[in-house]
Amino acid sequence: MIKIENLVGGYSNAPVLTGINLEIHRGEFFALLGPNGSGKTTLFKMITGQLPIQSGNVLLSDKEISSYSKIEKAKKVAVLTQEVQVSFDYTVEEIISLGRYPHQKGLLKSLSKDDQRIIEEMMDITKISHFRKTQFKKLSGGEKQRVLLAKALAQEPEVLLLDEPTNHLDIKHTFQLLDLLKERQKTKGLTIFSILHDLNVAALYADRFALLHNGTLKEVGDVELLRKAEQLQDVYQVKVNAQSHPTVPKPQLLMTPEYSKDIENISFKDSYEIKKNENVTHIQFSKPLRTMSNGAFGEGIQWFKHFYFTDNTEKHGISNDKQACIVPTENIMITENSQMMAVVGMEKGSYKILLFLDGHFSDGELINGFMALTEGKMHAVKCLDSNSLDTQLLAVTQQGRKITAQEIREFIYSAITKATGMKLRLEVG
Amino acid sequence: MQNLSIRKFLNNKTIWLYIFSGGLLLCTGLLGLFLSSVTVPIATILHIISEKTLGMGWLQVIPKNEEMIIWNIRLPRVVLAFCVGASLALAGAAFQGLLRNPLADPYTIGVSSGSSLGAVLVLFFQVSIIGLGSFTLPVVAIVSGLTTLLVVFGLVQLSSRSLAIETIILAGIIVSSFIGALVSLIISLGDRDVMTQIIYWLYGSVGMRGWEYVQLIIPFMIIGSIILFYHYRELNALALGEETADHIGVNVKRGKAFILVGASLLTGSAVAVSGSIGFVGLVVPHLVRLIIGPNHRHVLPLSLITGGSFLILADLLSRTIIAPTELPIGVVTALIGAPVFAFLLIREKRGRRG
Repeated sequence: MIKIENLVGGYSNAPVLTGINLEIHRGEFFALLGPNGSGKTTLFKMITGQLPIQSGNVLLSDKEISSYSKIEKAKKVAVLTQEVQVSFDYTVEEIISLGRYPHQKGLLKSLSKDDQRIIEEMMDITKISHFRKTQFKKLSGGEKQRVLLAKALAQEPEVLLLDEPTNHLDIKHTFQLLDLLKERQKTKGLTIFSILHDLNVAALYADRFALLHNGTLKEVGDVELLRKAEQLQDVYQVKVNAQSHPTVPKPQLLMTPEYSKDIENISFKDSYEIKKNENVTHIQFSKPLRTMSNGAFGEGIQWFKHFYFTDNTEKHGISNDKQACIVPTENIMITENSQMMAVVGMEKGSYKILLFLDGHFSDGELINGFMALTEGKMHAVKCLDSNSLDTQLLAVTQQGRKITAQEIREFIYSAITKATGMKLRLEVG
Repeated sequence: MQNLSIRKFLNNKTIWLYIFSGGLLLCTGLLGLFLSSVTVPIATILHIISEKTLGMGWLQVIPKNEEMIIWNIRLPRVVLAFCVGASLALAGAAFQGLLRNPLADPYTIGVSSGSSLGAVLVLFFQVSIIGLGSFTLPVVAIVSGLTTLLVVFGLVQLSSRSLAIETIILAGIIVSSFIGALVSLIISLGDRDVMTQIIYWLYGSVGMRGWEYVQLIIPFMIIGSIILFYHYRELNALALGEETADHIGVNVKRGKAFILVGASLLTGSAVAVSGSIGFVGLVVPHLVRLIIGPNHRHVLPLSLITGGSFLILADLLSRTIIAPTELPIGVVTALIGAPVFAFLLIREKRGRRG
């Protein structure tokens, strides 16, 4: 649909873009990504014709884009930008009818029945019919964008070019607008080319992506492009982690702010405090730990700072969204070394284990660690009457060196044997 | 079905507005012919007009002097007032649409004073360009008006990248004062006769001009109006800003050039025949927009009709209010227009903040 060949151009002498090659296929939703100043808007404006092409070609339907007349081009390509200031008190309907400009014929160029029908249809689709007579100025940001989209669609374009169309919008209106576009893409085969700032939103809606960096294309590809955390980190200079969306098979990115990286370097042993009194053992860390647990309190993968051993959660004001808690109270055994700390609670032959590690774990490594924890435990208690489904919790500080599964197994094994030894001694004594 | 009936109703409303403003024009026109020091019966007035234009009348005896008064003095005066008012209001509507700015008008952005300078130069040097003859004055006025407009835009462009309301009006004032000084210079250089002639002309008047002046303005008025009417959709599109207008297929450069030329034709010719008459182009389009909305499809023709009526009325006031002395018409329009301008400015600022 749009083919860009060796495109060079930008403002005045120093070209912003240096040789761009890109092809946008008919009927796809293509997202142009890149940090501010990477040349996104420049590329966009060269396609819309606002900026001159210094060398190279932009082809629209295999024809040089500059060979189209303004009217011909407007019949094929519509544009929706961030926000438009409208002077005078035009009504919504009048704004949308401007979208019929390239289609109006004859000497008088008034709106035909056909024009009216299309205007109605577009107002219907964008759900703005009810304020057709309202002044455009009086609408909210989200409504304004919908009106401008209706105007763009009234052009009946084959390609829709969008420059950060959701920039000023909240989540509701962002998704509303993009859902509308996606619907139009699916039902009418509309080709969409959009600059998007929000990588996560882009991942959810676009089919193909281009990553622009310092005027050159880093990569063009499908959604897998957004799993390449290192490349994104390179381009955006922000620490990025790629994760999977829980219900949609698309990646989502998690960004780490700069301030959270430099935490004062205190040793693992100094970073926690263990308080024991009557029925509670409370382990408090100086900052939250990444945790993985199968227990009722602190289930799944979360972040916690406080950990409790108690049989009375209510009395101590423990709730399962703020603190991780494990039930048994008697016979608690703590084993620690410079990098690891295990708390083993025993009750009627079952073992509740909290394992704290001073290391950095990805989610996958966290699962491995959890398995190592189970293996270590099974190894230690295999001769005893044990239940492997007992509550276990693995907590990691997300800093420091890697800890191998072997180390975890050995540590847990020694912690449990130590605990059982103590128990045996208690029973014998 | 409901939508259809609503639209029909609205169409009716528009039609009624046209009928109303047309009726208003006829009434003010007749009033302008009727009210004066010598009262001629309405029936006689109608007879004279229809006999002169259509060649048929129904009254047998008409006093020669009444025919003279109506046909040679009052009617050209009323028609000229209409043409000037219509041209200025239409030009004002176009400038406002083009600059996306309800405070723009030929007077505030300096076109009028530019045209004045051109006209004053022609009057002072008594020149006539070969081939143009009596059209020298309007042509020079139009060209100098357009030149002034370009100077004003140049100033705005140099001082700020956007065509901001305040900057345009400020630039208009700067250029106007400079031109005012030039005009004063020319007046002080001339002898007493030329001085009175120029000053009288500068005040603005549509009286004692005769049919020649109507003939002077009409071709420019027709061409200018056609150019602007033809570009009403471009004016609407420009309300979205030049970039967005470009995106919907408007050839912005060409459209702007045509609109500027059309509006300058109207302003220049109006100034050439009547001197500088301010505020018509500001007040009338604004009132029209308040009633019909901003769509230029209706704003332009209704501004033309209402502007004509407005100036006929203003002329009527200027010659009756302290009769037999005649006030310059520019004084009357300024007395009405300046307070309205102030009101608009306040409203505009408030509106934008709120």
